[in-house]
Amino acid sequence: MRRRLAWLGAEAMAFLAALWAAPRAGSLWGWLFPEVSRPAYTQDSWFALLASHLALSVGAAGIAVLIGLPAGLAATRPGGRRLMPVVDAAFSLAQAVPPVAAIALSLPLLGFGAAPTLLALVLYAVLPVLRATVAGLESVPGDALDAARGLGLSPWQRLRRVELPLAWPVLLSGWRVALTVSVATTAVGAVAGARCLGTPIIIGLSNANPAYVLQGALFTAWLALLLDRGMGLLSRPER
Amino acid sequence: MIRFEGAGRRYGEVRAVRDVSFEVPRGSLCVLLGESGSGKSTLMRMVNRLVEPDAGRVLLEGRDVAGLDPQALRRGIGYVIQSVGLFPHWDVARNVATVPRLLGWDEGRVAARVEELLALVGLDPATFGGRRPATLSGGQAQRVGLARALAADPPVLLMDEPFSALDPATRRGLQAELRRIHRETGKTILLVTHDVEEALALADRIAVMEAGSLAAEGPALAVLGRDAPPAVQRMLRPEALAFQRLGVLPAAAFAEAGPVPGAPGLPGDATLRDALLLMLAEGTDRVSLEGAAPRHLTVAGVLAAPWAETREAGA
Amino acid sequence: MGRLLPGGGQPALALLALTAMAAPWWLGWVSVAPNRLLSARLVPLPGALPVTVAWAAFHLSCLALLALAWRGRVERWAEVVAVLAVLALAATVGLGAAAALPAGSPLARASPAAGAWVALLVLALATATASAARGGTPALPLAAALLGLGAMAVAGVFDSLSLAREAAGRAGELRAALLGHAALAGGSLALALLVAAPLSALALRRPALEAAFLGLASGLQVIPSLALFGLLIAPLAALAAAVPALRSLGLGGIGPAPAVIGISAYLLLPLARGLVAGLRVAPAEVLEAARGQGLSEAGILRSVRLPLGAPVMLAALRLAAVQAVGLAVLAALVGGGGLGSLLFQGIGQLASDLILLGVFPVLALSLLADAGLALLARLIPAA
Repeated sequence: MRRRLAWLGAEAMAFLAALWAAPRAGSLWGWLFPEVSRPAYTQDSWFALLASHLALSVGAAGIAVLIGLPAGLAATRPGGRRLMPVVDAAFSLAQAVPPVAAIALSLPLLGFGAAPTLLALVLYAVLPVLRATVAGLESVPGDALDAARGLGLSPWQRLRRVELPLAWPVLLSGWRVALTVSVATTAVGAVAGARCLGTPIIIGLSNANPAYVLQGALFTAWLALLLDRGMGLLSRPER
Repeated sequence: MIRFEGAGRRYGEVRAVRDVSFEVPRGSLCVLLGESGSGKSTLMRMVNRLVEPDAGRVLLEGRDVAGLDPQALRRGIGYVIQSVGLFPHWDVARNVATVPRLLGWDEGRVAARVEELLALVGLDPATFGGRRPATLSGGQAQRVGLARALAADPPVLLMDEPFSALDPATRRGLQAELRRIHRETGKTILLVTHDVEEALALADRIAVMEAGSLAAEGPALAVLGRDAPPAVQRMLRPEALAFQRLGVLPAAAFAEAGPVPGAPGLPGDATLRDALLLMLAEGTDRVSLEGAAPRHLTVAGVLAAPWAETREAGA
Repeated sequence: MGRLLPGGGQPALALLALTAMAAPWWLGWVSVAPNRLLSARLVPLPGALPVTVAWAAFHLSCLALLALAWRGRVERWAEVVAVLAVLALAATVGLGAAAALPAGSPLARASPAAGAWVALLVLALATATASAARGGTPALPLAAALLGLGAMAVAGVFDSLSLAREAAGRAGELRAALLGHAALAGGSLALALLVAAPLSALALRRPALEAAFLGLASGLQVIPSLALFGLLIAPLAALAAAVPALRSLGLGGIGPAPAVIGISAYLLLPLARGLVAGLRVAPAEVLEAARGQGLSEAGILRSVRLPLGAPVMLAALRLAAVQAVGLAVLAALVGGGGLGSLLFQGIGQLASDLILLGVFPVLALSLLADAGLALLARLIPAA
C-alpha cells in the first residue's frame, strides 16, 4: 500500500513536471511534427487548464455525490422504494444519450462556456452514485440489520454504524465511476467552450495542428489514468 | 476387458493413484470403493482418458487406451456422473441422442434408439422425450443420464457416484434398476462409490482404494468378508459391515425346515436384514418364511449368517 | 403481472403524468419567430379542429396514465398509454405550428416551446419508469414511439416546424450523416468482435491471458474518448505516410480510421467481459459429461458453451452496440463524418435546430439498436 502510494505520488510529480515542460519543449514537438509551424501549445498555461479541468470534473462529481447519496438513502428507506423504477428508468434513458449530445442540448439554454458541460457532467455523474448507493445499501445482509434492530439501535444509528460501513466499498466504487466519467466528459466539454485539457485537442483539430492534439490528448489520458489509479488505491479494502 | 497395469498419477507432490493393477472381467459389475480422496475417481477417469496416467497403462480389450483417439474412445464408453450433467438447453430425447448423432446415425435409427432406451430406464418416451432437464426430478434426471450413456450401445459403462446425490428410497430403486439393466444388457460396468451398502447391493466384484493404492480386489463378499485385509477392515468398520452383509444375503439360504406356529411370516424373497427387523419389531426370536415347504429362521441363525461363508447361496 | 407495490399506487409515475400534462400549460406549446435571427415568442394554441383533436387525445392519454399509476395498474397498458401521449403531443405541436404560422411570411419559423420539450422528456421518463416497474426495459415502447413519430413525419405532420424545414433543406447531408454514422458504429462493433471473440475463446483456457486482456481493455476504458482519438491521429498519419498502400485503403490520421479504431477499443471491455462470462455459463458437470461422451473441444464450444451463453453474450453485444452509436458522435471531430458533423456544426453556429438534427437520429439509432438486439435475445429460447 505505502509503496503503491509512493509510486503514485512520483507519477503525479512526473505529470506536473511534464505539464511544466510541455510549452518549453518546442524543439521536441517540432521534431515530431516538422510540418507544423508553431508546434508547442502556449495559448493557455497547462496548469490553468489542469486546474479548470479538475475544478469542473471534481466539482461535478462532488455535486453528484451531494445529490446522489441522499437520493439513494431516500430510495432505500421503506417509504422511498417506489422511487426505484424512476431511477432505473433514468439510468436506461441516459444510456441512449451520449454525454456530448447532452452538452450540445443544454448549449442553447446555457450558452457557451463551462455551464452546459457542468450540467451534463452532474447529470451523468449522479446516476452511478445513486446506483451504487442503492446497490451498496441493499447488499447489507438482512440478518445484520435484524441484529442491529434487536440490539436497540435507532434507525439513524443503524444507518451510521451498520449500513454505511458495510456499504462503503460499493459507495466508493460508484464515486470512482462518477469521477472517471466526469474527467472523460469534461474533455469533450471543450467543444462547448469549457476550458480544460481537451481545449488544445479541439483547437488543434480545428486548425489542423496535430501537435496540439497530441499534447492535449497525452495529458488528458494521463490525468484520467492517474485519477483512476488513485481512486483504486483508496477503495482497496484494507486488511 | 479393462486392465490396469501399474497405473499411477501424481499431482504435484500428491500421488493420487499409485501402482494400481487389476482387471475388470467382461460382463462384470465392478465397484471401485473408497473414501473421498482415495483416488478411485481418478483411476476410473483414466479409462476414458479424462485423466492420463503418468505411470503404467490402462488396457481396454487388450489395447492401450493411450494409443486411441480420446474422442472416439469416449464415444465407445458410456459415462455417468453424480451431477448427471444433462445439457440444459436440449430436451430429454436430444440429450439421449447426443452420441448416436455424433456417430452420424440417421434420424429414424436415432429416434427408435431413444425410445428403446427411455423404456429401458423406466421412463415413458411419450411423456419424457420432450421435457427439459430442469423439469425432471433427481432420480428421473439420472435415469436419463444412464440412457444417454447407453445410447450408442457401448460395451463398457463408467459410473462416477451415480446415485450419491439421490434420496435413499430413489437410490435403492435405481440400484435395483441398474442390476436389472446389467443383467439384461451384459455390459461391463465400472462404478465408483464411497457407500459400502451400495457396493454390496450392486457389485459382482469390488476393488477397494485407500490413499491412492489398491487395498483389495476380488469377488464382492470375499473382499468385504471377515478375512479382509487390515486396511479394508480399518476403513469399513467390520461390525457395521456384518449388518450390511445381512442386507444382501437371502433369508431362504439360511432357513431351517419345519413350521413355527404363530410366528410372524416373511416373504420368500426377503433378506436376512428383513428377517432381523421383523424379529425386532415383533419382539420374537423366530419368524416363518412363506413358501411351498414350511421353513423358519431363528435369531441365532441370523446372527451366525454374516460370516458363514460356507453356507452362502450367493447374493 | 406488474410488480404491485405495497399500497398499490405508483406515486412517482402519477407525478410524471401530471407534470407532462401541466408543463405545456405553464411553459407553452409552440413558439414562433418572425425569422431566423429574431427571438421566438410563445403563441397560443390555435383552435383549428385537428389541433383540438390532438390536444384532447394528449390530455386523455395523460389522464389515463395518471389513473393507471394511481391504481397501481402498471402493466403493458401504462407503456402503451405513455407512448400514445407522446404521439398526441407531437401531433398537437406539429399541427399547432402549421396553424399558428402567419400566412404569407415564408421566413417565419415555428418551434416546439419549452413546455412541449419538458412534456416530451417527462413522458419518455414515464415510459421507461413503467417498463422498469414491470421489470423490463423501455427499448420496445421507445422504439414504437420512434416508429410512430417517423410515420407522422413522413405524413407531413411536422412540415411547419423549423426543425423539419432544416431537415428538408439538408436532406442529402442528413442521409449521408445517418448512413455514415451507422457504418462507423457497425464497423467498430465488427472490428471489436473480430478482436474480442478469438481472444475470449483463448482466455477460457489461459487465465493469465484473460487477466491481461481484461486489464488492457479496462485500462483503455479509462482514457477519455476524445484523448484516445487524438492519440491515434499522429501514429496513423505516420503509418499512412510510410505505407502509401494503406492510404489508398482509407487509413490515415484524419478520417474514419482513428474513430473506428478508437471506438472499437472502447467496445473491447464490455464485449470481452460478456463473451468470457458467456463462455463460462455452462456448468462444470455439463462440460464433464460432454467431454466424457467424446465431444471435441470445438463441438463443446458449438453445441454447449455457445447456446448456453448466448443470452449473456447478446446482452454484452447490446450494450456495446448502444455505446458504439454514442461514441461515433465524436468521430466527426477527427473528420470521420457521421451525425456528429451536424451536431458540431450546430454547436459552432449555436443553432439549436441543427443540434437537434444531429441528436435525434443518434437517439433513434441507439434505441433501435437496443430494441433490435433485445428482440433477437427474446427470439433465442432461454436455456
